[in-house]
Amino acid sequence: MSSHARGTPVIHSPEGSPTERTSLMSNYNIEEATRGGEEPPPRTQAIRNVPETAVVQPSENAANQGSGQRARQAPRSQRSSDEEEESLLYGAKHVIMLFVPVTLCMMVVVATIRSVTYYTDKGVYLIYTPFHDKTDDTGTKLWQTLANAMIMLGGIVVMTIALLLLYKYKCYKFINGWLVVSSVMLLFFFSYIYIEQILRAYNAAMDYITVAIIMWNFGVGGMFCIHWKGPLLLQQAYLIMISALVALMFIKFLPDWTTWAVLAVMVVWDLVAVLCPKGPLRMLVETAQSRNEPIFPALIYSSTMVWLITMADDPENARKQESHVPNSSTGATPNLEDSEDEDDGGFKEHIANGMNRNSQFSNSMDTQIARRAVEALGEMSTVEDPEVQRQYSPSLDAGSSTDPDPIVAKPKKKGKKRKPVPPPNTTPTSDTRDNSTENTESDEERGVKLGLGDFIFYGVLVGKASSNGDWNTTLACFVAILIGLCCTLLLLAIFRKALPALPISLTFGLVFNFATAELVKPFMDKLASEQVYI
Amino acid sequence: MDLQKLKNEDKLILCRKYYLAGFFLLPFLWLVNAIWFFKEAFRKPHYAEQSEIRTYVTRSIIGSAIWLAAIITWVIIFQLNRVSWGATGDLLTFVIPLGEA
Repeated sequence: MSSHARGTPVIHSPEGSPTERTSLMSNYNIEEATRGGEEPPPRTQAIRNVPETAVVQPSENAANQGSGQRARQAPRSQRSSDEEEESLLYGAKHVIMLFVPVTLCMMVVVATIRSVTYYTDKGVYLIYTPFHDKTDDTGTKLWQTLANAMIMLGGIVVMTIALLLLYKYKCYKFINGWLVVSSVMLLFFFSYIYIEQILRAYNAAMDYITVAIIMWNFGVGGMFCIHWKGPLLLQQAYLIMISALVALMFIKFLPDWTTWAVLAVMVVWDLVAVLCPKGPLRMLVETAQSRNEPIFPALIYSSTMVWLITMADDPENARKQESHVPNSSTGATPNLEDSEDEDDGGFKEHIANGMNRNSQFSNSMDTQIARRAVEALGEMSTVEDPEVQRQYSPSLDAGSSTDPDPIVAKPKKKGKKRKPVPPPNTTPTSDTRDNSTENTESDEERGVKLGLGDFIFYGVLVGKASSNGDWNTTLACFVAILIGLCCTLLLLAIFRKALPALPISLTFGLVFNFATAELVKPFMDKLASEQVYI
Repeated sequence: MDLQKLKNEDKLILCRKYYLAGFFLLPFLWLVNAIWFFKEAFRKPHYAEQSEIRTYVTRSIIGSAIWLAAIITWVIIFQLNRVSWGATGDLLTFVIPLGEA
């Protein structure tokens, strides 16, 4: 990154619009004043130019100024010099933050598959898959499987495009209605089936009254958290639960080989939808960005955990944004994306609360500074032309939702939100997405986001692997998916735009699954039977 | 949803809505309300809306506790008496356990 170039100019450049600069400066001043002597030793200041001093706060007394400058400089220089490292660190932190939910989702699926036979019993299938693997003829099976997968894909494509069109023509009510209906179905109907099967599997007696109360509370609580306001943790839990339920449904209602074929097809579709210039998911994200609004937040899992994490992220965001700033003044760079409303909103709010938090988190002075800077930036960005933003916005898109799921993991810094679009499939997938409030979004904007579709298909892969009853295969798939996720996040840190989350993970997962089932397992069995230990 | 980012008035409104919604046989919302707003109600330095929030949180705690106790009591009664209630018991049963071989 040419961060140096960018970073320095941002603050100092005389050409930049005066307003912007002013705001930046004032913010800094505040921070500095607040902080006083706490600041950490300045990091390399080499990069920065002279002008800062001049620009800086007139009002403060000398001591404050000194500290202030230092503080300012430190973050900046850091920015420039460490930017790449930061992005990697950032990625690492978010990798872990995504590992937990993905692992939880897969664990729910695997535990259910292993304990409840209902989800592995075949016999009933989705209407989208008219061919049911009934023959033994390999050729017939092959074309039937491919036909099923293509029908599924067609459904997904149609739904995605329908969603895109609805969104493009601003039929928000229709979309929201769709999301609400699907989440009602998931939360009440699917979870009813789930609880019934669990009780049957464990042979536990339960009365209708209790079940009714539990279902009612679970469902309504979910609607509150997903579509309205609720604790972030609870919302995440519901989204994971929903994804797991959908994954279980796919495992149950898709014919054996069709499931694998669908997974393979999803890899391709996800790539196309997110990365093609005209890919539906990409267009969806771009549209949302140009409108400066979040895409159905309900469809996306966002890793931001409460605000502790948010804070941790802030500095990074700020830095990045700052680094971008120069560009924005130029009008040229993609940084603008960062400026998205939500993000700004989030930051501002943070700032508002900043004082309180600061007291608590005094250690992170950078954070504060960053926040302020970001705020300033946000203002700036608002000023800037929408067009510019639009130009860059496309990058985010990846997250589309449709089924497959793009991951949208984007580091928030970029402000792009990748929102995975909801999967168009008629399938329950759609439920997944809900609209959480935008407020929520602003917070979450800053975390890495993963489309619920990603969760679903990860769950399907692992669940399917475990339904063969081999733990080696299950674990191999699990590890493969997590490795794939790591790679995706790494790419995210490099490319800084929305990326599809499925391709790498699912490719690894499929390879590992068949390799383990066909090669490793027989080998291990042989070793075990011969009492050979390696 | 991050409470930190809400204004105090909005917190109060949110808390009240959760509290009122709890009356529709939704003790779970009371529980969420109680946990979610507990810090706001009892740990934060005083602010204007806090006393009201505290009232709602307290009532939510009491309400969810009563519900929990009621459900536990009912489940225990049901489990103990299901067989002896005969047909009525079966009628109430969601999943009738299979006998052991």
